[in-house]
Amino acid sequence: MEGVWVFLLAFLTCGYFALAGFDYGVGVVLRLVGRDERSRREVLRAVTPFFLGNEVWLVAAVGVLFGAFPRLEGELLSSQHTVFVVLLAGLVCFTVAVQLRSPGWDFLLVGGALVVVVGWGVLLGRVLGGPVWLWGAGMPVLFSLHGAVFLAWRLSGGLRERAVRIAGLLVLPSLVFVVAAVVTAGSVPVPAFGVTGVVAVGLLGGVWATLRSRRHLVAFCCSAAVCALPVLGVFGARSVVTVSVMADVPTLRVLTWAAVVVVPLVLVFQWATWRMSRAAR
Amino acid sequence: MDALGLARLQFATTTSFHFLFVLLTLGLVTAVAVMQTRATLSADPVHARMTRFWGRLYVVNYALGIATGIVMEFQFGLNWSGLSTFAGDVFGAPLALETLVAFFLESTFLGLWIFGWDRLDKWVHLALIWLVALTAFASAFWIMMANAFLQNPAGHELRDGVLRMVDFSALVTNPTFGTAFLHVCFASLTVGGVFLTGVSAYHFIRRTAEVDFFRRSLRLGVVLTALATPMLIGFGFGQFPVVERYQPDKLDTVGALDGMGLGFMIQIGFVLLLVSWVTVPLLFRDWVVRLRFPLYLMVVGIPLPFVAAIGGWLFREVGRQPWLVQGVLTTQDAMSHVSRDQMLVSFIAFTGVFAVLAVADWVLIARLARRGPASSESDEAPVSPLVPVL
Repeated sequence: MEGVWVFLLAFLTCGYFALAGFDYGVGVVLRLVGRDERSRREVLRAVTPFFLGNEVWLVAAVGVLFGAFPRLEGELLSSQHTVFVVLLAGLVCFTVAVQLRSPGWDFLLVGGALVVVVGWGVLLGRVLGGPVWLWGAGMPVLFSLHGAVFLAWRLSGGLRERAVRIAGLLVLPSLVFVVAAVVTAGSVPVPAFGVTGVVAVGLLGGVWATLRSRRHLVAFCCSAAVCALPVLGVFGARSVVTVSVMADVPTLRVLTWAAVVVVPLVLVFQWATWRMSRAAR
Repeated sequence: MDALGLARLQFATTTSFHFLFVLLTLGLVTAVAVMQTRATLSADPVHARMTRFWGRLYVVNYALGIATGIVMEFQFGLNWSGLSTFAGDVFGAPLALETLVAFFLESTFLGLWIFGWDRLDKWVHLALIWLVALTAFASAFWIMMANAFLQNPAGHELRDGVLRMVDFSALVTNPTFGTAFLHVCFASLTVGGVFLTGVSAYHFIRRTAEVDFFRRSLRLGVVLTALATPMLIGFGFGQFPVVERYQPDKLDTVGALDGMGLGFMIQIGFVLLLVSWVTVPLLFRDWVVRLRFPLYLMVVGIPLPFVAAIGGWLFREVGRQPWLVQGVLTTQDAMSHVSRDQMLVSFIAFTGVFAVLAVADWVLIARLARRGPASSESDEAPVSPLVPVL
């Protein structure tokens, strides 16, 4: 029973990093890809259909964290109080800026997205015991790469070319970050983390190769997986998620009934949204 | 003010902001679902146009409201880690169910509804908006269940120093849950009704050319308010015996703040009941529009149900102090080990961004509402990117 919930929490968190990750990434590279107002609007239009669906993965993950891992939730959040406060403030600014988009206020959109991705980097660094500056600088690179790859897949013409070029420029820094993160990994059991690192390097190679051969969808899947990998690192660190922080079995049993119905439904309907917006292109 | 005071003020402030979004979301989605049902059944295109116009306002409010919801959710762990550590096994269950069963599904359905416009089969599309409405009310269901546990903890036992769940059904049948949940549901319908009425009245004041469109919207708003308010008041007063039985202190020690909240709520409730029922006969032959002066009252009245809701919320929450979980966990003990400065920073940060969020919401909604149903996209002030899709 406990295993199911560890898996579900990991799944939801990975989903959040992989999906909302490209929202933030697109936010960061917005003004690099879109050089004028018209093209910036086009860039944002590419993300809009998925915005609602992506953000809720975070809500669901935190909900599961509260319900099934109550003692981890309180401990983790209150011990990283300031980081979370700054991150959430950035998240709200980003959301407002996307919805209330007006050209003069792009600093709120780009800045909000940057605060969010740096915030997640700092948090991961702290939880995993790695150097905070490295993670704080590295995760934004990964998310930006993911955002650029997403745009390379969804846009066309000159904008696509620019997105591909930016993504290409970000691959090498991403590689450097992954290697450095593995080398400097602190409390994490090294073999498991090493494997995660090797997979990440492989996926980044995949991104580079598939961008060159213009298989954008495959490249997007690879960069999504790269963004989700650090989460697996956290779950691999056995000191973070343990049975003692989890709720009792009667609570988990109640929650399982809901999850069994809801999670497949969400997957089917979000997949339908993706399908539909592909048909519209 | 000490850290505890700041933490409480922070929760009260952010919850109140969050509440403004939630009430309008619940109220509007019901109205939109009714409109779309009529659009699907009838050949008259006005219903489809109504669905689109009011649906846009709803979507904007929802998209910005999500951000407040995320902050609210994190705040439990950030400032009240004692609550999750001690009572998370029980209190966390309905909260987790809310995010999974309601919110997660709701956003997914809504995303498909927005982008399925003109693409999906009309019956599938109609089913989607009803699913959105259903999951929205399911949100309220679980949240009120979690809140009822704080008022009257049920279904738990104390083991190894923490609360463990022994009987989930006791949470569902908690006497402080059912009536309060229905009260909130009808409050949100009232908010929706008053909002529909107010915005339509504004367009009549400006002598809109869309007479049929706003006549129908105004009627729906007035009828919705007239139907919701008696139930709202009934379930409101229906809670007094429950409070008297389970939380007698709440009524004995009413303070200035919560007493005022309760008073305002009751008065506003009766005013809305009275006014809406007086307005119903005036709908005949558009007397209400020809008289004109009621139109101004309708616009002025838009904030009233929001004020009432926050008043009621203050009474329910302030009256429980010093307990966070009545008789089991004090607010003091539930607070995280966070310094006063950290608490102050987060209070300022969250209150600041929420104020921005609320203003952004009202600016966007006002823009869209003023623009009316006949909108040409091109050179007007920008609105949510979700809107052009609709």
